[in-house]
Amino acid sequence: MASIVRMPEVLANVTEAAIANWLVQKGQEVAVGAPLAEVETEKAVVEYAAEIGGTVLELLVAEGASVAVGEPIAVIGAPGETSDDAPASPPVAAEQAATTEQAAAPEPETAPEAAPSPVAGAPDTLPSGAAGSAGSTTAGRRFISPIVRRLAKERGIDLDSVRGTGPDGRIVRRDLDRLPQPVAPTAAQPARPAAPSPDAMGGYDEIPLTGMRRAIARRLTESKTTVPHFYVVADARMDALLALRAELNEDGEVKISVNDLLVKAAAGAFRTVPDANATWADTVIRRHRSVDISIAVAIEGGLVTPVLRGVDRRSIGEVATASADLVDRARRGRLKQDELEGGSFSISNLGMYGVKEFSAIINPPQSAILAVGAAAPRAVVEGDQVVVRRVMTVTLSADHRVIDGALAAQWIAAFVDLVEHPVRILR
Amino acid sequence: MPNRSRLEASVDWIRLDSTPDDWKRADPALLIGMLSELHLIRAFEETVLELAGEGLVHGPAHSSIGQEGGAVGSIIGLRSADGVNGSHRGHHQFLAKALTHVTSGRFAIDGIVTGEVDTVLQRTLAEILGLAQGYCRGRGGSMHLQWFEAGALGTNAIVGGGVPMGAGNAWAQRHAGTTDLTMSYFGDGAVNIGSVLETMNLAAAWDLPFGFFIENNLYAVSTEVHEVTGEPRLSGRGPGFGIPAWQVDGMDPLAVHLATEEATARMRAGEGPAVIEAEVYRFFHQNGPYPGSAFGYRSKDEESSWRERDPIARMTRELLALGTITEAQADAAREQAVQAMKEVAGRLVERDPESDGKRRIKPDLWPDPAFVDVGIRGDASELADVPTLEPLEYTGETRSGRFVDSVAGVMHHRMEQDDRIIVLGEDVHRLNGGTNGATKNLAKDFPGRVLGTPISENAFVGLGGGMALDGRYRPVVEFMYPDFLWVAADQVFNQIGKARHMFGGDNPVPLVLRTKVAMGSGYGSQHLMDPAGVFATSVGWRVVAPSTAADYIGLMNTALDLQDPVLVIEHIDLYPLTEETPVDLDYRLPLGKAAVRRVGSDVTMISYLSMVRHSLEAVERTGVDAEVIDLRWLDRASLDWDTIGESIRKTNAVLIVEQGAQGTSYGGWLSDEIQRRFFDWLDQPVQRVTGSEASPSISKVLERAAIARTEEVVAGLERVVAGMGER
Repeated sequence: MASIVRMPEVLANVTEAAIANWLVQKGQEVAVGAPLAEVETEKAVVEYAAEIGGTVLELLVAEGASVAVGEPIAVIGAPGETSDDAPASPPVAAEQAATTEQAAAPEPETAPEAAPSPVAGAPDTLPSGAAGSAGSTTAGRRFISPIVRRLAKERGIDLDSVRGTGPDGRIVRRDLDRLPQPVAPTAAQPARPAAPSPDAMGGYDEIPLTGMRRAIARRLTESKTTVPHFYVVADARMDALLALRAELNEDGEVKISVNDLLVKAAAGAFRTVPDANATWADTVIRRHRSVDISIAVAIEGGLVTPVLRGVDRRSIGEVATASADLVDRARRGRLKQDELEGGSFSISNLGMYGVKEFSAIINPPQSAILAVGAAAPRAVVEGDQVVVRRVMTVTLSADHRVIDGALAAQWIAAFVDLVEHPVRILR
Repeated sequence: MPNRSRLEASVDWIRLDSTPDDWKRADPALLIGMLSELHLIRAFEETVLELAGEGLVHGPAHSSIGQEGGAVGSIIGLRSADGVNGSHRGHHQFLAKALTHVTSGRFAIDGIVTGEVDTVLQRTLAEILGLAQGYCRGRGGSMHLQWFEAGALGTNAIVGGGVPMGAGNAWAQRHAGTTDLTMSYFGDGAVNIGSVLETMNLAAAWDLPFGFFIENNLYAVSTEVHEVTGEPRLSGRGPGFGIPAWQVDGMDPLAVHLATEEATARMRAGEGPAVIEAEVYRFFHQNGPYPGSAFGYRSKDEESSWRERDPIARMTRELLALGTITEAQADAAREQAVQAMKEVAGRLVERDPESDGKRRIKPDLWPDPAFVDVGIRGDASELADVPTLEPLEYTGETRSGRFVDSVAGVMHHRMEQDDRIIVLGEDVHRLNGGTNGATKNLAKDFPGRVLGTPISENAFVGLGGGMALDGRYRPVVEFMYPDFLWVAADQVFNQIGKARHMFGGDNPVPLVLRTKVAMGSGYGSQHLMDPAGVFATSVGWRVVAPSTAADYIGLMNTALDLQDPVLVIEHIDLYPLTEETPVDLDYRLPLGKAAVRRVGSDVTMISYLSMVRHSLEAVERTGVDAEVIDLRWLDRASLDWDTIGESIRKTNAVLIVEQGAQGTSYGGWLSDEIQRRFFDWLDQPVQRVTGSEASPSISKVLERAAIARTEEVVAGLERVVAGMGER
């Protein structure tokens, strides 16, 4: 019996994805878990692995083509089966596909608290009670009435930030009418000069938006406009940590980076201040039992933030190995979708570019991000002496809904303490 | 032992055969005319079969070869003002009427193809080929041939379907004071269908100058006449209805002519209808160029015995015997006809440059595809100079009265002013205005113009359709209950609704059909539908459904002005209401203008008829700020999209309110249109209030449960409110 393979919902709330590359050919035998295709969403290119084994009978979607999640993309038959045996309509396979989709993207609201890793549904910052309680019909899709789509476009409203109160959580006109009217655009419109032609301005090139660029724009705009950020800044003396790293790397098989140690230090700080390891979930605050830290990786055309899971429970060597692997695969576009989801905290390190300090935008649904500057020799007062130390400035951006100022201060103090006494990081 | 005495039919049933003496006494010019028409029709039909064989006739080509004698013999003596309509096998009927019209039935044997004859042949063939120059602009084709000026009222593809309409033409002829008549042609298959039998009864009851001409060719497609009737002498149908009948050899055109003369003398004298059964034979199968024996339902022997009776051979033999024409002239007549058809075809088809040895239709002769929907209805230009009044804005003098009195009152007023208006239906002439008083005082004040009909909706509404197509009268037909539309469906939808478009787009069909919705009256499953949905989704009809007496007057006046069939829906709940109406009964409501009964901003409620009141009540009860639109005009062409659109853009929500069952509901097509036209303006799905799926039962409780009233509209509004989200 041949089965239909459907476009997976590689990320919650993604309704469409493209086949970037087929990794199999028609007629090829595949085993369970073998990569079938690279699926490109607006966030990343991920490998999609076969969930059943057999012979690839048909590839239904051309490379580069986008299809809706749930659409058939390939037909896999039992070994020896031909495409003639494939079902014209796939009732059985549809059930299988539905099952796997549910498994891949459980409803965020209904995920058991005991789940050891964060669940799918990364941008679900604003699930409404209605949507959450509406069951599987709303899984992965928000309902928006036609007039609301039209008005949102006209008024420049980002509907991701709007709570729907209609049936099944549908965003209806009243939900928009409730919002403060965006006065500025309309007031500014008459005064806005006519757009000068490219020639008059000396010309420019228009670069089409990639899915990733759109996602960065959408998600960070949403974060910066809806998450109440505040910042705490601290300096940390890095001499001890750098010395430790040199020592660790002397004979270690695994090369440990400064960043690996900072990730471990952050995990340690969360162990000291567990209340900070929490995220906002609209109706509740989730305090996470595992420390999962995203690391920002610049890649061609943007950045991705793969997650290091259970950093608090892993040795520095394990963290370094996992981190290197993630960075390597991120740059080659080979991350899996679950490696991009979850976490409560990110570290963004621009130190290698000589940046002294900066502040970063929180990566929803996380509640904090640490911006790491360069470790550079600076004059430091120790006791009554001015001495030269290698000093790094770190800036914590925190979501005030979850983390109050004192909590942030406690956390950053714990972090600085660990960095300055790095042997404790290895505990 | 009971006393038994033999009853006799009240009319004659005659077998008529011609004698040698009849042939000697016949006018030679008449006989030459018959021979000429027979040759022209035969050559025409041969050309049609030839073109059909080349795939150039789209659809069936029902050949009349072999049957020409019946049509020619009966039609050559008719006037142009006499009407003829016919069947799916109607080329010969149409041609005989058209040729007789342009020649008066007189031909010079050495020159039978005059310019006018040539034009008739060409336009008829063009119509059969579906070309723009055809009599119906290519719309009618082989089975819908109409040329009104010639008295060719239209052939018909529904077996027996043209017969009631023909009777309407006869009614108009008689009541206009003429001695003209109408002859309807149909076959042995149609003699058993209700339309024909109902019309026999009606024509006899009303002494209509109407001939039932049965072309008995023995086979309904492949079914032999003895298989399907206990009386295969089909003229025998006449006496049972009090109609005298003639049976005649249809292969003998003179015998047919003589029988027709006897029958038409009676019709023209006002003595009522006649039945003529002509025994004929089609030499080929139902359609196409093969004999019936090729399909196994009749024998080659039978066919050859009938071929020996070929009407052309008979006419030729007799004329040669009489010395009227020479053998050379007889041969030349055939040659002229064949040559004429060759030339006619040559003007319509050409060598196909893309396919060697084949022909094709000359491409520039096809109709413009943009013509597809032209003339479904009239352009309503007849309303251009009519003064209109909007009751919502009226401030003049009013009077108080019951709704139903406005129904009768406006009709009374118009019948005073317009002699063309004829009211017909069951009991409309009795009971002091029919079953509800809606035709009160009409029969008394307008004798002869208010016709109580037999209980045969198909026949009397079809008769109304024929009156409307004739144009001298404006029939106002009443269906006592809307569900009777199913009884009369062929005439209502296939004939009246399609006639204008099917025959080329020009014939006005000014007919008003009144009916009353009776939900709540306990009449049960077969009497309580709302017909709006069925009519609105059927082509050709305009539909009005007034919710107030003032609207009723204005809408009925406009309906009576229109050159289209208009359904006027009434409701028994409205009849007893006392309302104010303008004193003057002459005003018209503008075509296609809805009324906003309440201005609001939360939801657009769209309703009509009695449900407008229920909608307003529901708005009061719920306090929802709804805008209530009373459609007034319900059909696709007359709907007020401007008013609907303006409201939806404001409210972003729609509730369509009607009373009746879901299946044939009105709102189905309307919500479909709305979601496509206004999708981006909607904040929630188009919501509906309807009855349940079941047709309302007689039990009071079950009837109430099956229909919508104010409570159901309240529930509908609550659904809309739920769809609006949190305040």
